[in-house]
Amino acid sequence: MLEVTIIYGFINSIILALIALGFSLTFGISGVSNFSYGAMYIMAGYAVWIMINLLGLPFALAAILSVILTALFGLALYRFVLLRVRGMVISEVIATFGVGLAILELFRYLGFTGFEYTLPVFTDGSVMIGDTYIDHQRLWIVGVGISLAIGLYLFTRYTKTGLAFRGIAQDEKTALSLGINSDRVAGLSVAFGSGLAAIAAILILPRGTISVNEGYDVLINAMAVCIIGGLGSTVGVIVASFMIGYAQMITDAFSGPHWKMIVSLVAILIILLVKPSGLFGKQKELEERI
Amino acid sequence: MSETTGKKTGELLLKVRGLSKNFGGVRAVIGVDFDLHQGELLGLIGPNGSGKTTLVNLITGFVKPTDGRVEYRGKNITGLMPYKIARLGIARTFQMAKPFADLPAYKNIVIPLYSPRVRGLSGGRYGDRDSVAKDLLEDVGFERDSSVTFKAAGSLPHGYLKRLELAKCLALRADLIILDELFSGLSIAELASIVPIIEKMMMEGKTIIMIEHRLRELFRIADRVIVLNFGQIIANGKPTEVMESDEVKHAYLGTED
Repeated sequence: MLEVTIIYGFINSIILALIALGFSLTFGISGVSNFSYGAMYIMAGYAVWIMINLLGLPFALAAILSVILTALFGLALYRFVLLRVRGMVISEVIATFGVGLAILELFRYLGFTGFEYTLPVFTDGSVMIGDTYIDHQRLWIVGVGISLAIGLYLFTRYTKTGLAFRGIAQDEKTALSLGINSDRVAGLSVAFGSGLAAIAAILILPRGTISVNEGYDVLINAMAVCIIGGLGSTVGVIVASFMIGYAQMITDAFSGPHWKMIVSLVAILIILLVKPSGLFGKQKELEERI
Repeated sequence: MSETTGKKTGELLLKVRGLSKNFGGVRAVIGVDFDLHQGELLGLIGPNGSGKTTLVNLITGFVKPTDGRVEYRGKNITGLMPYKIARLGIARTFQMAKPFADLPAYKNIVIPLYSPRVRGLSGGRYGDRDSVAKDLLEDVGFERDSSVTFKAAGSLPHGYLKRLELAKCLALRADLIILDELFSGLSIAELASIVPIIEKMMMEGKTIIMIEHRLRELFRIADRVIVLNFGQIIANGKPTEVMESDEVKHAYLGTED
């Protein structure tokens, strides 16, 4: 029992981190909270399903195309929606949430519900760790999840675009004065975040069916992780994912699965009361707030 | 009043005509005209709220003018996005130094080194940017390979922050450098070491505009001074001449000692 909880808690934590990484990246760079994030996740899943089942493309090609298309959708979202309300936080939230709502409910309206909407696993089979069975897909999730986190860390430190990302994140005015096109970089950050949502979807969705409602759960989970870890902090995302990941798994094991979501929500409440900027987020200095 | 006095060492670099900005009912800058030639050091002075920073924001694209025109090397740059103006070779600093606080000091310099402007000027070859950045920091008085070069920029002492601002302008290979209150908050010793850096930039043919409140230090190096009051130019000439003007004495210095 303990062994299962430890192993599946670990996997659950990586899943949460995967889900939250893109949301956190976009916010961390451009300060944009992309509330259509959950919808993009689901859209990427349906896109793969459509390309495989209706267009007859092979899975690998469909997966790559879906990531690219979702990223392009993110870029378009910035260019045609966010650019006009940039800097007005409430408008950004309403606009992106509206787009997400429209996407998710459009899929529901078109009848994309049912057990046939599933994605294939990467490889079939399972391994035993001790007495615990783990299917290959969960191993893929762990492997890709960890590689992505490391890759992103290296990317932001050692590449030109990564440095520009960090520059914009820290001071947009200074970045502009040094010749960085901050709108382009912010658009890229939304595209990157969206692409990450698609990668997470393609890895995670094969475990069950694609459903519209999961879009809302993904957004709540991404927000829970980001609020607890501190918005925009990658270290925060990882630490918070493990906290919530294990807390959910322990609640699941000892009190039943319907308590799982409550854990995230209660954790959000506690953090907002105790340290509103999150564990690794920066509280603004008094001087910056007034 | 002659609008274009001052030494004319080089070509006409910046031409400002009728530049105005209203913020709601407040007329922050009103019909400003001036020219700036290659190699000049222009001081921009005036009481608090006289429109100096707004004028710089208008020139560098951070604020869109209500009216008027800015030309740089004969090209109309009025209302261009700030990053485009920066890429043309106009660098600026901010009154409150704004480093990329979490990045090490030298990485702050690597960012402008990636600019398309620098790539264009160096013919695509740039070698090791980290090392070029450290060279530039050395030029502005960071001790080579000292720990301060690797420290997060947000934790640098005030004097180093100001030097970092200068290094960013140099990294961008700007021809026109606009310094907003560079001298403020510096000790006499720090000033004594930062002034030679500006003099060296002048010798290399840079053109500089300095917004300053520390007039004594400014007048030693400025070729020409423009005095703003309530958004208008009330004097434009050599430092000594400008300070003789009754209008300036009255408006700016008031009961100056």
